[in-house]
Amino acid sequence: MHFFSQAFDYEHPWSHVVIGMWHKYPNSKCTHVVSVDVLDRSVDPKTGIIRTERVLGCKQKAPLWIVKLFGGSEDAFVREISFVDPASQNATITSVNLSLSQFATCFEQIQYSPISPHRTSFSQTAEIQARMALWRSAADGLEKWLVQRFEQNAQLGKLGFTDVLRTLWEERHRVPAS
Amino acid sequence: MADSLSAECTPLKEKYDTCFNAWFEGYLEPAVAASSSERGAYSKKKADEFQAKCGKVWEQYKECIQRAVKEKGLDKLLQQAREENPLTMPPPPPIVKPLKKNS
Repeated sequence: MHFFSQAFDYEHPWSHVVIGMWHKYPNSKCTHVVSVDVLDRSVDPKTGIIRTERVLGCKQKAPLWIVKLFGGSEDAFVREISFVDPASQNATITSVNLSLSQFATCFEQIQYSPISPHRTSFSQTAEIQARMALWRSAADGLEKWLVQRFEQNAQLGKLGFTDVLRTLWEERHRVPAS
Repeated sequence: MADSLSAECTPLKEKYDTCFNAWFEGYLEPAVAASSSERGAYSKKKADEFQAKCGKVWEQYKECIQRAVKEKGLDKLLQQAREENPLTMPPPPPIVKPLKKNS
């Protein structure tokens, strides 16, 4: 598992940052994000918390070996869940990759909270983890296949060499020495 | 405004986003300022208002995007992701806290 984290402040009030959240894409620095769609949204009529589920489409060239090994493509999708809580002035965004998720997960959390009327702190953490259970079962399957192939080949090798020896010495014995 | 993952849904998505953003920008600051005794009534009023203003275009956009998600084969991946992390409640604060500055 690998971790990533960063934190800094934006020189904007919390409400401006949270309004800006919905305008983040497209932007010229993040051209890899090509689509953003809302799949679900609710406004809690008691707490006022807004929950939004979105799917982000990204285009990013993966290294060739990754594409070959995992069959990935340029298009990758991410599921993002955000909560905006006006009472606690907290906005959290959790993202998990959908593409290649059978092989590895990238779990990202972002939080925006006010530190003064004009400043907002941003903190971001991510955990990147390959699915070890899958690797283990794949490695196990590979070993089994290798053992089977080895056993078959060993059996064929034995039969083949038996034939070669018999033929060789039968012929030698048949030809009388001159 | 970012495109939809399906060109077909982009016009509906833009209408919906515009509707939501307008509603949200009116909603947020009074929601922050509301006292705990006012919060319930304000949230209910604004939730109803959001439904009344954006409910119709949301239904149209939702129908379009759900179809597109299925066509891209993302519906199964989404289902699996929802089962693994339902995220129905705000998550606990992250482990790393922002650094406090002495300014």
